[in-house]
Amino acid sequence: MNFALTEEQEFFKKTIADTVDRIVTPKAREIDEKDEFPWEVWRDFTKLGYIGLRYPEEIGGMNADKVMCMIFYEEIARGSVGFAQSVIMNILMGTYFIFRFGSEEIKKRCLYPAMRGEKIATMCFTEDQSGSDLGATRTRAVRDGDGWRINGTKMWITNGPICDFCTVLATLDPQKGLKGLNFFLVEKGTPGFSTGQIINKLGCRGTVTGELVFDDVWVPYENFLGEELGKGVYYVGDILDEVRLMTGAMALGIARGAYAEALEFARKRIAFGQPIGNFQLMREKFAEMDTLLNTARLMVYYGAWLLEKGMESRVVAAEAKMYATEACLKVVDELTRIYGANAFAYEYTPQRYFRDARFLLYGGGTHEVLRDFIGRTIIGRL
Amino acid sequence: MNIIVFVKQVADTEARILIKSDQKALEIENKYNLNFFDEFAVEEAIRIKEKLKDGQVTVCTYGPKRALEALRTAIAMGADRAVLLDNTGLEADDPLIVARILAAFASQDGFDLILCGRQAIDDENANVGPMAAEFLGIPHVSAVVNLEVVDGQGVKVESEVEGGKQIIEVTLPALLSAQKGLNTPRVPLITGVMKAMKAAIPTVDPTSLGIPKEEIGPDASKVVTLSYEPPQQRPPVKIIEGQTPAEKVRNLIKVLKEESKVL
Repeated sequence: MNFALTEEQEFFKKTIADTVDRIVTPKAREIDEKDEFPWEVWRDFTKLGYIGLRYPEEIGGMNADKVMCMIFYEEIARGSVGFAQSVIMNILMGTYFIFRFGSEEIKKRCLYPAMRGEKIATMCFTEDQSGSDLGATRTRAVRDGDGWRINGTKMWITNGPICDFCTVLATLDPQKGLKGLNFFLVEKGTPGFSTGQIINKLGCRGTVTGELVFDDVWVPYENFLGEELGKGVYYVGDILDEVRLMTGAMALGIARGAYAEALEFARKRIAFGQPIGNFQLMREKFAEMDTLLNTARLMVYYGAWLLEKGMESRVVAAEAKMYATEACLKVVDELTRIYGANAFAYEYTPQRYFRDARFLLYGGGTHEVLRDFIGRTIIGRL
Repeated sequence: MNIIVFVKQVADTEARILIKSDQKALEIENKYNLNFFDEFAVEEAIRIKEKLKDGQVTVCTYGPKRALEALRTAIAMGADRAVLLDNTGLEADDPLIVARILAAFASQDGFDLILCGRQAIDDENANVGPMAAEFLGIPHVSAVVNLEVVDGQGVKVESEVEGGKQIIEVTLPALLSAQKGLNTPRVPLITGVMKAMKAAIPTVDPTSLGIPKEEIGPDASKVVTLSYEPPQQRPPVKIIEGQTPAEKVRNLIKVLKEESKVL
């Protein structure tokens, strides 16, 4: 049993933390307040090459192991969740299917520019009437000549309104439920493909999230991303644990940022003639927060370790996402109590952590759906 | 051009530092960085190499094993190689001993130019660079804010002096210490980070550099730490009262004359 990061992973953690603190953290407040995509920060950050984190060195990636990926997700979320969401969409979900199934031509057009930050990627599952319930997907694809014709509307799409290409989940036959699902690549400029409403969100501001409309969009046959028709849901399964652990790592990042803020405040703030950190009820809060952080960290990194080793990780990944997010919500809540009334003012940072943390409740599976999944998996079919 | 950069790993400015009970040593939270001024030196060395399209940048430190991390940071930025002069068993950080060891390494390794930070931000001595230059018998310029290599034979440098700047031409080999303003250190690219993660950094035993043992052993130190003291607490802020700005100024002048006696 060994819980230590390797010397290389430690160095990576320090380097990425430092990079985030130079480029991202100083802009976090501005990103949140403006709620516009931070193009300048995007260019400064993506030119360093981190979008290729998960991909092989031969194509300009870093070939990072799963533990390193979690370190990255945690650190960038600590800097700014609004920015982290956009970056991680490009690193993971937005390019995954292109890397795995795309032709070399498609990779040249989409993947490699995305890895350099020159193109923005996204992936669209969610619709206005379906999220966790993928089988209810209404976006429809049909064979048409040498390609596919796609009709439907997607909602809550991270990077959607600014994307250069997207991986769309569509059904070939709604009667088949999950077995009718497939993925297709649609690029900006394709006739019939347009963006709709941009969502005005409580948190994760700076990430542009919104609607994508597919109105009789025709794409060539090679834009079908998969080996076999009807396997889309299995391909989702291949990435789901990583997405869930990533969400947990982001929660850990937000929680660490909030915790550091709380600690600094408790050491400096004077009340009744002494720093408030001297008071027993304040100490109790730190004992609780630190325990939550350590537990969440253990779960997220244990999950990453299982995933890296190719071991069964579905239950642990779901538990880690759920636990780390709930722990994060508790930590940001404590921060707002320790900080007093100023935590309620937009002028100070606690309210941003408080708002941002809420977003992680939904991505990677709601906790109601996850609890059901975990229980069902453990008990088994009776 | 062969450039050696002397660096030091220092405690992070936000690391918690406590004075041990005997007041002779410090207890430092495990948060360390490449010294702030050394980053300018590393950056400048890489820029010179990139500009000349020739040469090698070697980064070297005298310190404990954990200092490998600072060396990796320099490699991630673009240094070609790094060497750790392991201080295990020596541990003296008297600037004179450090300078002697670094100079011995440079002399053995060979160089055209040595760069270092103007000072370390932990002990703020600003001694090691100039002392090493003296041991090597080469010219040195401190607090350099601009640097230009002239025909590979010398450098034209601009350095800060009190109330102004001086421009000096120096023949190589020479040692220059970097001041803030020399450049903006780069953020490492992913390719650099990967190179740094994989780099095998050799460790050299300083006693193998041909320096007489009595010159670098614990007894060779010319500095004796008597005690560490925490900085004095700042006195409470006094707000000068008054009905009008003019009255506040009058009251301020009165306080400056009568209480603090600075006027």
